[in-house]
Amino acid sequence: MLCPNCGYDNIAGIDLCEICGSDLAGLDLPESHFGFRGRLLTGHISDISISPPVTAAPDASVTEAIESMRSNKHGSVIVLQDGKLLGIFTERDVLTRVIVPGLDPGSTKVSEVMTPNPITLDTSDPPAYAIHLSVAQGLRHLTIMEGTELKGLISVRDLLRHIHEDVLGV
Amino acid sequence: MSGAIEVILKEIRVQDLPLQRDHRVSPSTPLSEVYEILDKNRHGAAMVCEGDKVVGIFTDRDILYRTALEGLDSQTPVSSVMSPRPVTVRFDHKLADAIKVMVDGGYRHAPVVDADGHEVGLLSTRVILKFIADHYPETVLNLPPRLDQRLMQPEGG
Repeated sequence: MLCPNCGYDNIAGIDLCEICGSDLAGLDLPESHFGFRGRLLTGHISDISISPPVTAAPDASVTEAIESMRSNKHGSVIVLQDGKLLGIFTERDVLTRVIVPGLDPGSTKVSEVMTPNPITLDTSDPPAYAIHLSVAQGLRHLTIMEGTELKGLISVRDLLRHIHEDVLGV
Repeated sequence: MSGAIEVILKEIRVQDLPLQRDHRVSPSTPLSEVYEILDKNRHGAAMVCEGDKVVGIFTDRDILYRTALEGLDSQTPVSSVMSPRPVTVRFDHKLADAIKVMVDGGYRHAPVVDADGHEVGLLSTRVILKFIADHYPETVLNLPPRLDQRLMQPEGG
């Protein structure tokens, strides 16, 4: 058991560090599964505020998609056809797939530059999944389903707000 | 650092996080060059600095709202489309306080400054989430690559 103060490797279960006398009691106990850590796995995505999605048809132009994001104050649009999820187009894609390659937003269809078949989460999944996807996969907008029905979106901002309210109790 | 995240967030300081430092541009930097930087660095934000002072921030959100459809000249200086005087956080403030500033303002990025107001880096939501995920590697990071993979029956069962 490493002493957090001096770094000396004490024998397991000791109460005081042999070298510096720091209190080590309880430091080797497994961390509680209650509290925020417990809720990460036992809570549900539905505990986080889910924004209703802004949607677009696949043949909508990028200009229309951007105008829709602007008027709804959203950073992404979900591309739907007959209620079926086809893809997602985000503010990041505006830069990397439209502006940098020099495409004309007026004549480019959103389906040509969207991310097809995005990874989705279910409202019954634990919040840890959402943090995992945003950190490990770099996703900023998570598509949330409830069964087969599109429920909405969670952004990294929503995740941070959730953590703020949950962990810091504000 | 061990202990509950509830405690750590209130103890750790902004400067203890890996702040991003590769995203500075000057007010006269042309839009085309800022686009290239944002495209490459994947952070989605550039800090506009005059010397060591932060005078603005330009993010993916600014592109969405102000430049994507406006047909601006590629030589337009970033100063004319940036968000001026962004809210900053102090490098020696507690992470919990910085999170509050970012959540209250709805910001995904906040420039970090020292006691004299000099720029020292950029704090992003992603860095904060990564910090929290790293604290719970077995809970958050050790998940299967595809989250819908589930064992049909207990292992060995």
